[in-house]
Amino acid sequence: MNQSIIFIMIMSMMRLTVPIIIAALGNMYCLQAGIMNLGADGMMIAGAFGAALTTYFTGNVWLGVLVGVLAGGIIGSLHSLICVEFGGMQNVSGLGLNILAAGVTTFLCRTVFKSNMTPSVKNMFTTPVLAGIPVIGDLLMQFSPIFYIMIVLSFISWYVMAKTVAGLHIIAVGSDPRTTETAGINVWRLKHICVITCGLMTGLAGAYLSLGQLDRFVEGMTSGKGMLAIIAVTIGRRKPLKTVAAALVFGFFDALQLQIQIKNVLDLPPELILSIPYVVAVLALLFGSSKSMDKVNLNPYVKNKYEF
Amino acid sequence: MRIKIRGISLANIMTPFVIIAAAMLITSALIMTTGANPLNAYYHLLTGVFSNIIDTINRTVPIAFTAFAVALGIKVGLFNIGLESQFLMGSLASAAAGAYITGLPSAMHVPLCLIVGMLSGMLYALPVTAMFVGKGANLLVLQLLFNSIGTLICTYFIAGPFAGENPAVAAMPRIQATAQQPNLINGPNKLSISILFVILVAFAIWFYLNKTTGGYQLRAVGDNADAARCAGINVKKYHFWVLLAGGGLAGFAGALDVTGNFYRMYGNYSPGYGFDGIPIAMLANGNPLGMVIGAIVFGALRVGSVNMQAKAGVSVEIVKVIQGVLIMLISAQHFVRFLVGKYIKNSERSGKA
Repeated sequence: MNQSIIFIMIMSMMRLTVPIIIAALGNMYCLQAGIMNLGADGMMIAGAFGAALTTYFTGNVWLGVLVGVLAGGIIGSLHSLICVEFGGMQNVSGLGLNILAAGVTTFLCRTVFKSNMTPSVKNMFTTPVLAGIPVIGDLLMQFSPIFYIMIVLSFISWYVMAKTVAGLHIIAVGSDPRTTETAGINVWRLKHICVITCGLMTGLAGAYLSLGQLDRFVEGMTSGKGMLAIIAVTIGRRKPLKTVAAALVFGFFDALQLQIQIKNVLDLPPELILSIPYVVAVLALLFGSSKSMDKVNLNPYVKNKYEF
Repeated sequence: MRIKIRGISLANIMTPFVIIAAAMLITSALIMTTGANPLNAYYHLLTGVFSNIIDTINRTVPIAFTAFAVALGIKVGLFNIGLESQFLMGSLASAAAGAYITGLPSAMHVPLCLIVGMLSGMLYALPVTAMFVGKGANLLVLQLLFNSIGTLICTYFIAGPFAGENPAVAAMPRIQATAQQPNLINGPNKLSISILFVILVAFAIWFYLNKTTGGYQLRAVGDNADAARCAGINVKKYHFWVLLAGGGLAGFAGALDVTGNFYRMYGNYSPGYGFDGIPIAMLANGNPLGMVIGAIVFGALRVGSVNMQAKAGVSVEIVKVIQGVLIMLISAQHFVRFLVGKYIKNSERSGKA
């Protein structure tokens, strides 16, 4: 009995953490390159809608995921256009993206489906390919394919940031763009790549929400998960593994909250349990090193051809 | 020679108009993809606003207040996005004070509700402010966290201890008649005295920023905190009080909205007023008159869109799109100003030749 509860908790935590981890890793690149991305929720909702819409009309889940990723990438490229190319205000642009993406998806959803959600579409809750593996196949197939993509992405992110020259370049661009430019690195191209990568990955997280967790798109379905991802990056001090760990903490409390509500074991208001991860994050910010942000230069780095 | 009107270059004056026109154009493209006529949609948006001016003014009030709060932050060099939850806290506290305190005369009950709302907004801003000023914690992320926590707290109170008479609806009980603001215009569309506070506070902020030593020092901190510190200005003091004042303004706005408009607090009370203030304050660059105008535009979009959906068949959600595009363009306003300035220069040159 107890073991099964622990098992359910772990499964539930794994499933709920997937979008947060993917989005957090994407935002890690973005923040490491010196661009604050408050638009993560917008990228995610665009990904979720793109994925659900495409799957509804084509019936192909993988095509849906692709379109979801691209939709996130489009929002990401808007952000990079404004923040990197035009030297705009990152925080305002991010909040604008949230409103814009929420507005466009809701508008299209209402116009196409005359409802605040899409009809049920084909989903990708499980990975039937893995069922053939002996002993653990039954367990492994219970996760969405995106779960495995997430594991690969986590590893790649760790490898890129810790072991490659590109990772060092990203860190350099984020902390001191002027010096980095002097060293012959194309600051803007690298920043563009980081922000668009962030958009693509956050779009994937959104696609997981609408295809891997639910079988449809619902308005406002990200419900602040993008913000959680940003917070996870900040608490993880922009290090891939620490970021994943912070995201797992959020996933754990999300799962805990869900289980307590389903089982109705404790007579606690769900809002109290829901607020635990936020309180933990506040404490982490308070007692953790507050200097982590100082190493990133978030000021826009403007090209010389624009005189303002 | 650059054209200037009362010391402001033409490019600066043109920029807001260019931004609004561009946002309208981009949104038109989206409307056209659905087969509707954008001109028809905008026409019904405008008629919706003009047939309902009182409602527009009522919507303007909370947006103007959050814009003031953001503007104070901008002037001191801080980006304040915690207003959403502070607004909710103000609404919650003043709705509770209005509903559960009985037997007061109206002349005392209304001010009490307003003050309670303002204080609870400030109180909710206090932990974030203390952590930012005292420990140097990341302000942006803290405020995001506190926004989430604040929304949860409100949901809890509305569904739990403060639940209203109808359990099916997530709403608090109606506030006492004594807690309702007196109206300037009675009738089905009532205009409460809230708008007077907007004018008052707009003037007060203009006076403080431009005519007092404190306002001068505040702007000095915003322009260059290091230089201000060298000049002996207490930077932390200004950061602290501006963030608290922001909470107070947002809480006050919530209290005004509850006691002047809806007479109760319900679930999902704020449609994002805390974030509406940000682009307005940015575009107006902290000019109170500009912010009031911006708040009227945003309020009008909200009110007119209902008519637009009914008459032109374009979903109200298009307003979010207009707002989103506006905010995106505002975030790149330096670039837009650069383009406008370049265009003006070029046309002057070709005019001379």
